[in-house]
Amino acid sequence: MTWLVIALLAAGVALQRLAGMFVGTALIARFPAFERLASLIPAAVVSAVIVQLTFTSKSSLVIDERLAGVAVAGFLVWRRAPMVVTIVAAAAVTAFIRAAFGL
Amino acid sequence: MADADLRVKPDWGVLTGIAFTFFALGVTVNVLVLERVGSEIKTVVAAIVVNSATSELAYLAVRDAGGSVLAALIAGWVVASRFGLLAAGLGGRLQVGRLHRALAGLQSFDPNVGVAVQQPTSHGVMRVFWMVTLAMHAGWWSGTFVGVFLGNIIGDADRLGLDAVFPALMLAVIGNLLRQRQGMTAALAGGGLCAVLVPIAPAGVPIIVSLVGAAIAMRVRVPEGTT
Repeated sequence: MTWLVIALLAAGVALQRLAGMFVGTALIARFPAFERLASLIPAAVVSAVIVQLTFTSKSSLVIDERLAGVAVAGFLVWRRAPMVVTIVAAAAVTAFIRAAFGL
Repeated sequence: MADADLRVKPDWGVLTGIAFTFFALGVTVNVLVLERVGSEIKTVVAAIVVNSATSELAYLAVRDAGGSVLAALIAGWVVASRFGLLAAGLGGRLQVGRLHRALAGLQSFDPNVGVAVQQPTSHGVMRVFWMVTLAMHAGWWSGTFVGVFLGNIIGDADRLGLDAVFPALMLAVIGNLLRQRQGMTAALAGGGLCAVLVPIAPAGVPIIVSLVGAAIAMRVRVPEGTT
């Protein structure tokens, strides 16, 4: 990764964020129906990120130890456990399964 | 269920959880980046200026697979497109000047936007957004330092289950949205589309297409007096 690549990567990421903030927000202001749509975007996009981080390895779908950790997190979120407990439990369960089964 | 029952309230437990998660993320990501870049300074500067761990990882994944620099850059930009979508979701809730708006846009991530947009007032959105952002950066910077300069002591971070920490945080962030009919529909549709597309679409595209999940959820009827 050269300095030029770091600069280009940074510029592309920053421009998208600014475009979302100014152009995306202007669209929402112009078309009121977009406001409810915008409020649902985090649920849809974050859910996709969860799927990607839990079930993928490179470009393949996989089921591995991460699923157990995230499933425990899902249970704890449902039971309204404190966030830090949820996160630590997810890591602990994943680590335990790896250690127990030598994965 | 009424709105007042659904908000994530950024108390110390929530902020500590977010900081811990970003610490874990900072360690795991920067150990990987350092392995491939081979320079501590470049790794730290990239962590500061790119401001997107997923973009860095996507760039390196394409290069590892033998892709060109241009293809790797495009992958890095595409996976960051969700930040633009999140910034748009945040922007509609803000009543601040252009400079403040730009700064907030440049700091738009999944957890801070996800928690902030659940607040009922524009002032609350802004306050919570920056509180969560500070917690994220405190964790990310300390994790980056540990990953870059002490990573060889920690060894394999996955052994500690740290790769399950970020999806668990994300789940906690949208947990209350999942208690609403429209939020659950958006999450199931977005996550489902992503799962279908991961094996067949280029990196980053499944995340962009997941946006359709929000549009699908718009068609769900909401009972009166609920969200």
